[in-house]
Amino acid sequence: MRKTRLALAAVAASVVALSGCQGVFGGGDDSDSDGPIVLGMLAPTSGSSSSIGPYMTDGAKLAIDEINAKGGVLGRKLKLNVQDDACDPKTASTAANKLVAAGVTMSVGGYCSSATLPTLSVFNKADIPMVIPAANSADLVKQHLPNVFLINGTGVQQAQAATTWLSKQKAKRVALVDDSNSYSTDIAKRTKTDIAKTHGMKTVLHESVNAGESDYSSNVHDIVAAHPDFVYWTGYYQEGGLIIRQLRQAGYHGKVMVGDGSVDGKLISIAGTKQAQGVYATMTETPDTLKGAGDWVASYKKKFGSEPGPYSPQSYDAVRVAAKAIKDAGSTDGKKIEAALMKIDGFPLFSGPLKFTSDHTLTQGGFVVLQVSGTKFDLADDLKD
Amino acid sequence: MSQIIWNGLFVGSFYALVALGYSMVYGIMKLLNFAHGDLYMLGAFIGFGLLVSFSGFTATLSLVALLVVLLLSMVGTGLAGVVIERVAYRPLRGAPRLSLLITAVGASFALEYGMRIVAGPNPEVYPVRLGGSSVHVLGAQIGIAQLVLIVIAIGLMVGLNAMVMRSRQGRAMRAIALDPVAARLMGVDVNRMIAIAFFIGSALAGAAGVMAGAYYGSITFLMGFIIGLKAFTAAVIGGIGNFKGAMLGGVVLGLLESFGTHYLGGQWRDVFAFAFLILFLTVRPTGLLGERVTERV
Repeated sequence: MRKTRLALAAVAASVVALSGCQGVFGGGDDSDSDGPIVLGMLAPTSGSSSSIGPYMTDGAKLAIDEINAKGGVLGRKLKLNVQDDACDPKTASTAANKLVAAGVTMSVGGYCSSATLPTLSVFNKADIPMVIPAANSADLVKQHLPNVFLINGTGVQQAQAATTWLSKQKAKRVALVDDSNSYSTDIAKRTKTDIAKTHGMKTVLHESVNAGESDYSSNVHDIVAAHPDFVYWTGYYQEGGLIIRQLRQAGYHGKVMVGDGSVDGKLISIAGTKQAQGVYATMTETPDTLKGAGDWVASYKKKFGSEPGPYSPQSYDAVRVAAKAIKDAGSTDGKKIEAALMKIDGFPLFSGPLKFTSDHTLTQGGFVVLQVSGTKFDLADDLKD
Repeated sequence: MSQIIWNGLFVGSFYALVALGYSMVYGIMKLLNFAHGDLYMLGAFIGFGLLVSFSGFTATLSLVALLVVLLLSMVGTGLAGVVIERVAYRPLRGAPRLSLLITAVGASFALEYGMRIVAGPNPEVYPVRLGGSSVHVLGAQIGIAQLVLIVIAIGLMVGLNAMVMRSRQGRAMRAIALDPVAARLMGVDVNRMIAIAFFIGSALAGAAGVMAGAYYGSITFLMGFIIGLKAFTAAVIGGIGNFKGAMLGGVVLGLLESFGTHYLGGQWRDVFAFAFLILFLTVRPTGLLGERVTERV
């Protein structure tokens, strides 16, 4: 506890010191006030999660173009500065420093929680507010940094949604499987806690696998041996697809559910269409499952020639939230933008009306349950009753 | 129990196929070819490319077509291995060992991210999937596809063994492993033999890649990284440079992982397997079969 307080004090001190500096060099800032307002975005465009990067940057670009077409913000155009974080903590903090040096006003990136974590203090020291579109480990808001805002549902809400669905499905014996990364482990642990509080349901196994491998037969053997009636996988789609396939090959006939990192058409093709039928998923609301998003998908396709993917909508929303906050604050000053972000009430996002809690997370989780049918995920239950 | 052993053996046979190439190259020129795991990836992608472009034929004759694709991919990967050796390793043969090691790391990254440019970052799914029925032997569920793959793997290893032990080229390779200078004085074409060793080692990794693609289904440009490390470990367990040791090491590592997962849980698997490795190497630094230094390759 004491250590945290000391660390916070140190952070606070450096913030004060830095904002002092900005005061001194304030003149320089003002002379630049006709140029574009630059939003920084950290997204994985290389490394194991590199497939997500383009979805995020395209989503953000779409929002920026729409806002610029309407005249921009505070009479200035918006501009996106994308840096690759490779889903790697070290690369990410270097990239964050690059964005700070480039003088970005806000950050609208962050996909892998583990890579986003070290960037928080980098942006905090430079007084740059962050609207994080995808990364949603509860660890991100644990330090209560004033500049960190999450617009994706967190592990807390996902675990609640998962447990609600498990009890609705009358699951008795649940096996939780994660991929040993902070994000996936966090959801599995929280689900385990929620299951323990639910009557008539228990966790029979909590297994961790190593991401990036092909053969999970040993893990699958353990899962089958624990005789679960529901398996919940909280990792990403590549391993998820392999595990579903190998579970079915090993003769597991029970139900399977996957977390939001696994909601991708590739999950179904890797697992095999037959094996993936009926698999459930906990997922934040997406254009596919949201009524009235058809126009948005159409304009995305027209602009980029491809379908929007995971976190395109959240990245689009992050830019819109950032633009609104800058507009409400009437300034590019970090502290004023943070205050404006806290005042937002009912701004429409894909996940529902936006209002931040005191933890800077969404008030409404916006998690729904999808089910694989054919070669895509369909809405099974919006968990709203 | 029998299921755990079978799972270990099956994974181990993949490790063994890749470990063989590691061990061969190390035996003949004392180079840790870190790009070896990426040749496994390359094999998987060549196989994928062939299957996609000839999808008309493969739909009807899936197993035969797969065997043809396997052979073609082996040739392709083998040639790639030869090119890498010619471009990245041969010019540095007199250079310090460390430079050669870093070139190998460079070759590995060049292959990985080169493939990302060609094939894109998303995982690809093999158009032909081995799955199907399984049989029960002593309580273990064994897939027919798994049996076919293990038979192919054993066939390749036995073939290689015969080649190295019986043929003229094999004898020349063993001579180079013993003493390259003396071998050259005796009229052995060292460059050619090293190229052949690279061809065979890479072809085996390519075969493992195609088999993994067809069995597991998903391939990515980074798939060679972990298996490269595991195969390297297997080669060291067996006694690096020793040919039967590499096969044995692969199977031992597969079994260690399988038992570690079962008795300690998935999160402890690598801790168990690699703690065992450290203990084992302190007792037996040359690996399982490493004492026969005179019989490298």
